[in-house]
Amino acid sequence: MTAASPAQADRPTIEVEQVSKWFGQKVAVSDLTCSFGPGVTGLLGPNGAGKTTLLRMVVGLLSPSDGTISVLGHNPRRSPAVYRSLAMVPEEDAVYGFQTARQFVGYAAALAGAGREAVERAIAVVGLQDSAGRPIAGFSKGMRQRAKVAAALVGDAPVLVLDEPLNGTDPVQRAHLIATFRQLGAEGRTVVVSSHVLAEVERMADRVLAVVDGKLAAAGDVAAIRRAMTDIPYRVRLEADDPPRLAAALIGSDMVESVTLRGRLLTVETADLSGLGRSLAPLARSLNIRFSLFEPEDLSLESVFRYLVRGR
Amino acid sequence: MRSLLAILGNTLRQLLGGRRLLLLGLMGLLPAAVLAVLLADERTAIGARQAFHEAPLAILFYIVLPVACLVFGAGALGDERRDGTLSFILLRPLPRSLLAGAKLLGAWLATLAVIAPGAIAMSLVMAVRFSDWTTLGPLLAAVALSGLAYSAAFLVLGYLTQRAVLIGLVYVFVWESGMTAAVASLATVSLMRIGLSAYAGLLPAAHPHLIEWLGAVQPGAGGATAKALVIAALVVAATTALLRHRDVT
Repeated sequence: MTAASPAQADRPTIEVEQVSKWFGQKVAVSDLTCSFGPGVTGLLGPNGAGKTTLLRMVVGLLSPSDGTISVLGHNPRRSPAVYRSLAMVPEEDAVYGFQTARQFVGYAAALAGAGREAVERAIAVVGLQDSAGRPIAGFSKGMRQRAKVAAALVGDAPVLVLDEPLNGTDPVQRAHLIATFRQLGAEGRTVVVSSHVLAEVERMADRVLAVVDGKLAAAGDVAAIRRAMTDIPYRVRLEADDPPRLAAALIGSDMVESVTLRGRLLTVETADLSGLGRSLAPLARSLNIRFSLFEPEDLSLESVFRYLVRGR
Repeated sequence: MRSLLAILGNTLRQLLGGRRLLLLGLMGLLPAAVLAVLLADERTAIGARQAFHEAPLAILFYIVLPVACLVFGAGALGDERRDGTLSFILLRPLPRSLLAGAKLLGAWLATLAVIAPGAIAMSLVMAVRFSDWTTLGPLLAAVALSGLAYSAAFLVLGYLTQRAVLIGLVYVFVWESGMTAAVASLATVSLMRIGLSAYAGLLPAAHPHLIEWLGAVQPGAGGATAKALVIAALVVAATTALLRHRDVT
C-alpha cells in the first residue's frame, strides 16, 4: 500500500496529527501532520525552524499544545514503557563529563535493561573502542556525539530519533555515522535524522520532510526536494535614480518574475540571473536611467526553505 | 532494582564529586570542632551537656544540615536539568516515581555522607571527655530525619527553579531560623524541629534548652519519623507528577 501524501510514510511507526506547539506568544510548530516509517527520514530545515521542538514532542519531552503524537501506537508522554522501543540522541550535550564513554553507555544500558555485551556492541558501532575508557569531559564535540549515539543504540530500539547528530563531527566521523544510520535504516528501523544541511540529509535519507517556521514546507524523496529548489528564482536588489520607470520597464521583461518597489530600492525576482545582468545595462541606457546598486541576494538555505513554504 | 542502583550510584557520584565533597565535609565537622574548643576550656567543661546543646547543636541544625541538604537536594534534579542530562534519564523505560525516589534517596545519602561524620565526631568528643555515649544514636536519628525532610523539600525546589539555592537559603535563615522560632505555633511546620523532636525523644532526659527550641513541638521519635516519611512520600508524588507533565525544554 502506498501512502496518500508525501508527508505520510507507508508503514508509519511515528504519527504526528495536526500538531502545534507554542511557547507563550511564539509558535514553534504549527498544525503539522506527517508520519515516519522504517528507513531513514531526514527532517530538514534552517535553525529555528521547529525541528527540535517537533522531535522533542515525538519523544515525549514536550507536550503538544494541540494535536496528537503516537509512537508505535503509544503516547510517549503517558507511557515510559515506549522507551524500550524509542531512543533519542538530543541536540544538547546530554552527557556526564565525569563518566568514561563506557560508563556512560553502560549507564544507558542499565536504565534500558540491556546487558554488557550490548554496551561493547554499541561502542563498536560508533567506533569509540579506543577511547571508551577516557572521561567524556575530555572528548571533542564529535566524540561526544558518537558517545550519545552509542547510548541511544544500546537498548536496540526499533525507532531512533536523532537531533542534529552530525553537529561537530569531522568528515571521517560524519561518513562513519552516516553509514551507521543508513545501515540502521536498512535493518528496518525507523530512523529520523534532523539537519539543517541538505547535503548531509541527501547522503543518508531516502525521504525528506522540510520544515520552515514550524510548518511542513516540502516532503518527498530527495530528488523531488532538489527539483523544487532548482525552480527558485534569484532575488536582485537594484538602486536607480528613477526606480518607478525602471520597474515598469522590467515588469514587461520575460525573464523577470516580479518587481517590488520600496523607495529608491527595487527587488527583482528572476530565474535567469545572468540574462538579467546582461540586459540591464542596455535597458538602462535606452531609458537614460543610472544605477547605483546591482546586488544579488545570497541563496541561503533559509531563503530556499522560505520559497518552498511560500510555494505551497 | 538495577535501574534504581544505577541512578543512585550516578547521583551520588554527581553530587559528591569535586570540591563540593571537600567543602561540605569540612563544614560538617564544624560543630564537632566548636564543641572540642568549648570543652577544652575547663570552665565550660563543667557544664558540658549545656555546651553540647547550645552552640554546636545550633550550628548543626540551623546551618550545616540545611545547607548540605540544600546543595544536594536542589542539585539532584536541578543539576540534571541545568546540564541537559535530564532528557537522558527521562528517555528510559522507567516509572517516573522510581526516578523521583532514586533522586531523593541519592540526595539524602549524600547529605548523610557529609553530615553524619560530623555528628559522630560530636558524640565522640562527649564520649572521650565524659564517657557519655548517650547522644550518638539520637543525634544520628535526628540528622537522618531532618535530613530526609529537608532533602525532599529542596529536591522539588531544585527541579522547579534555577534559583533554588537562593530561595532555599532564604527559607532556611528566614523561615526555619527566624519565623518558626519567633512564632510558637509555626514550630510544628519546621523541618529542623522534626529531627530535634526525635533527638529529644530518644535522649534519656531532654535538655531544657532543647525543650525551649522545640516550642510547640512535642519530643518523640515516632511522630518525627512519621512526619519525615510523609513529607518524603508527598515530595516523591509531586516530583513524579512534575516529571510526567512538565515540558523539558
